[in-house]
Amino acid sequence: MDNYYVTIGLEVHCQLLTTTKMFCRCKTDYFGKAPNTLVCPVCLGLPGSLPVLNEQALRLAILTAQALNCRILPRVVFHRKNYFYPDLPKGYQISQYDLPIGVEGKIEFDFKGNREAVRIKRVHAEEDAGKLVHEGLNLPFGCSGVDFNRCGIPLVEIVTEPDLHSPEEARECLVMLRNVVRYIGVSDGNMEEGSLRCDANVSVSPSPEKMGTKVEVKNMNSFRSVFRALRYEVDRQVELLEKGESLYQETRHWDEARGITLSARGKEEAEDYRYFPDPDLLPITLEDSFLKEIKAAISELPLTRKERLMIEHELPENEANILVQDKTLADFFEEALKEFNQPRLLCNWMLTEVLKNLNEAGIDITESKVSPQQLAELLRMIDKGEISGTIAKGVLEEMFTTGLDAREIVSKKGISLISNEKELEKVVLEVVEKNPQSVADYLSGKEKALHFLIGQVMKETKGQANPEIVKDILLKKLASEE
Amino acid sequence: MKVELFKDFTIADYHKWLREEKISLPELIEAFLERIKSIDPDLHAFLEINQQAALTEADILVKGDSFDKELAPLWGIPIAIKDNICVQGLPTTCGSRILRNYRSPYNATVIERLKEAGAIIIGKTNMDEFAMGSSTENSAFGPTRNPFDLERVAGGSSGGSAASVAALEVPISLGSDTGGSIRQPASFCGVVGLRPTYGRVSRYGLVSFASSLDQIGPIARSVDDCTRVFEIISGKDEQDSTCAPYPPFSRNDIPTEEEIRKLKIGLPREYFSGEVEKGVLELIEQSIDLLRKNNLETIEVRLPHTDYALEAYYIVSPCEASSNLARYDGVLYGFREKEGEDLESMYLSSRTRGFGEEVKRRIILGTYCLSSGYYDEYYLKGMKVRTLVRHDFEQVFEECDLLLTPVSPCLPFNLGEKTKDFYQMYLTDIFTIPSAMAGLPALSMNCGYCDHLPVGLQIIGPPFREELILGLAGFLEKRLSLTPPFPNFHQ
Amino acid sequence: MERKVSLAEIKTIAKLSKLSFSEQELANFSEDVNSVISHFEKLNRLDLQGVSPTSHISWGQPPLNPDEAVVWENRDWVLEQAPEVCGRLIVVPKIVEK
Repeated sequence: MDNYYVTIGLEVHCQLLTTTKMFCRCKTDYFGKAPNTLVCPVCLGLPGSLPVLNEQALRLAILTAQALNCRILPRVVFHRKNYFYPDLPKGYQISQYDLPIGVEGKIEFDFKGNREAVRIKRVHAEEDAGKLVHEGLNLPFGCSGVDFNRCGIPLVEIVTEPDLHSPEEARECLVMLRNVVRYIGVSDGNMEEGSLRCDANVSVSPSPEKMGTKVEVKNMNSFRSVFRALRYEVDRQVELLEKGESLYQETRHWDEARGITLSARGKEEAEDYRYFPDPDLLPITLEDSFLKEIKAAISELPLTRKERLMIEHELPENEANILVQDKTLADFFEEALKEFNQPRLLCNWMLTEVLKNLNEAGIDITESKVSPQQLAELLRMIDKGEISGTIAKGVLEEMFTTGLDAREIVSKKGISLISNEKELEKVVLEVVEKNPQSVADYLSGKEKALHFLIGQVMKETKGQANPEIVKDILLKKLASEE
Repeated sequence: MKVELFKDFTIADYHKWLREEKISLPELIEAFLERIKSIDPDLHAFLEINQQAALTEADILVKGDSFDKELAPLWGIPIAIKDNICVQGLPTTCGSRILRNYRSPYNATVIERLKEAGAIIIGKTNMDEFAMGSSTENSAFGPTRNPFDLERVAGGSSGGSAASVAALEVPISLGSDTGGSIRQPASFCGVVGLRPTYGRVSRYGLVSFASSLDQIGPIARSVDDCTRVFEIISGKDEQDSTCAPYPPFSRNDIPTEEEIRKLKIGLPREYFSGEVEKGVLELIEQSIDLLRKNNLETIEVRLPHTDYALEAYYIVSPCEASSNLARYDGVLYGFREKEGEDLESMYLSSRTRGFGEEVKRRIILGTYCLSSGYYDEYYLKGMKVRTLVRHDFEQVFEECDLLLTPVSPCLPFNLGEKTKDFYQMYLTDIFTIPSAMAGLPALSMNCGYCDHLPVGLQIIGPPFREELILGLAGFLEKRLSLTPPFPNFHQ
Repeated sequence: MERKVSLAEIKTIAKLSKLSFSEQELANFSEDVNSVISHFEKLNRLDLQGVSPTSHISWGQPPLNPDEAVVWENRDWVLEQAPEVCGRLIVVPKIVEK
């Protein structure tokens, strides 16, 4: 295994976040819609209909190429990719060929402590196809159904050079690509829902000078399956080479259930797509001012943000990394930070309690009932000693279900810290009496024993004691024991 | 039926009678429908007659006050539409079996504009299948005959649109022109046909044959009628990317007679060669003499790549067509033949039985020219020659204002005469193809009769200078003052 | 230079075009295509070095669509005249691959 050089390139399709389709005015929110309702003469390819490019789709495609440091070509030219398939109503897909939107870009990400840079070969725009339905809905036996709602939704295709050398690295690169498209708001990058799709070229070779036989792997529907499929494919190829067998240039489909790739047979000859410039779409000349205007919209990208969080807020790399993986999470963090300026503590709460609550509810942070301001308030209450951390966890849980402010919950439930010294003194006395060993330990210089004693008091008071005051009383008490 | 309705009257005449209430609109429409019913079985210009809807439309126009008779430029005027232009609710077969039962669920932009102008769609006209042909013999529904001689072809591909206007079945019609499909049938039927500048009229709703060449244009019996229709249908359209951001044509832009006399007319030598039939050449030369007598200057010019335009056209247009016709696959609309059980056999049998021979020939030719390894050899080369053809015209229009040429090298030929040798058929378009390749406007008008058969002359202009073309055409029409010979058919 | 399009090539092209022919038809189409192609040889007389191709006739920047939705009301007409439907789905013979 270690004697082989692995080469991987990715081909990623992202659905662009436009309101309407790429060449017509139909809506793009096809998810859960009745079949063939979001259609018109253009996306159905009815005789006589003509495409007109959606300006927003053009802008988002350019933005993607810019964010990936591509050189933007001065003219936008669309080509027709000709092939027959029932989900392709015109008999061709409007795509781009030798003149993509952008070329020669790169994407950077951190992998195993190194900053990796993978070259981007091209970024181009194209239209999505319809969807085939194979079962259910009373389809006659031996038949498939076609739904054109998805047909014509704008996509960008991002093609990397084969600069990746392991399935782990490929996954990291894909994660970064997903994060970039999310950061710039061009796509929601959701693999499970199909708004981000990834194919990969994999080859292994015994020598770094000579590339191995390229195998294309398709049908990977999650980050996990990308990783598993690539792992499998690398192993398969190495195994064959070890046995002295040769590899074929082919396309293989990942079978998630069986955990293997299968050769997509049935194509004796390579498809001849007969690409040629779409005569229905005039080339568009891109003005510098237009490109500048689009570029201005590029917000901070994940890698830069991570570095900033590490420097400005002294967050450890791991934590910063988790925060920036999800733009909305990092946005939430920075929003809350405005009202509670203790980055480490806030970050800890975000990555433990907040994420836990989100996971349990199965939602992401944009759907959370708790606002950054509300979280900040809760943390301020802890900070001021109004409630303990333990209590706060429970309060946060309730904030997530009700959306109420922390203060409201605390007063409603009558939870508040026992700051009454008389009351606490009673508990402290009990604890000191019950734990003579700990008291002795403390007095012999073991600082840790103090924490244990504080913990015992907190336990007795069900977390409602003000830990600062408990500490004061305990210290006084222990001093008198000496 | 009022026989006197069916002489060479114009839109202006019909409007005058309607205003003076010499005839009511329903009567007028009924009279045209009657005429179609009586003569179209012999002529076969129509594939569909929109009888009921046309009468209903007439009633609505009469009752409604949504239209001002004075303002709506085509108020109540019946118009025939080539069957590759989509009219909502009517068949759009393109003369093909594959679309035999297809009805368009939407209107082409030109149809919307005609309706806004008050025109009444009276029917859909016959054509060569998917506009591929020069005689309308490639229609899956049988050929259209020439009103001047029923044994001869009407020309094509807009043969039905030209013949219906010539036979006074309808005053005006729309055709489409890819390499001459408006101008050649207009010439063969002795009427006026205009191919506008590429992009001057929206193609939205015109079923594509070769997208970079197709244009919709009017066919009429007079230059003035042609002008009126062109005025309505021209202008930019947000639904067609190839439609030019250019204001619509206006009749006010047509030059005065005085200005017309100052025009310099170029006579491209390549269009006056030995390939042109003698009778045709003589009539064209008579018209040129007429212009000279009226003090217009004529000069001989050269368009050196004329000879290559035909070949380049028969590369570029089949390439585009092979892709444009891929959508007829039996999946969503049109003809589906289920011979086998699987998808492949559905594709094969639907397309093989749905398309006629000429269409298949061009699909094969176009697919070949685009296929791997041949793109550079053919398609790319065709596009480069197209550039040379364009440059020829650009240079010539530095020297002169308009070009005058024959439309077709031959007179209307007999049915079946050229169907055996398809390349002979291709050659009938040699004078209309070059300007189409360059995207230029060009008009065909009658300039006389040879053996009782009409002969057309062609005026080609620079981009967006239709007003010059129409100006000169009107100037000539007035001075030629031709009376069409009356074939038996007309009585 | 004479290029002959072989029968095998015509077969491949027919397959790409989703057209099926009998042997006789294949032979005829092959002859037709060869005859047209032979006319194209004429273009080799031209010096096309450095000539840019004309793929479109363009007079200016094309219009672009605004990103605002418009609903097409007649969408059900398409289903009504489709060759075969099941509910709102277009029915085609089963697709095995993919």
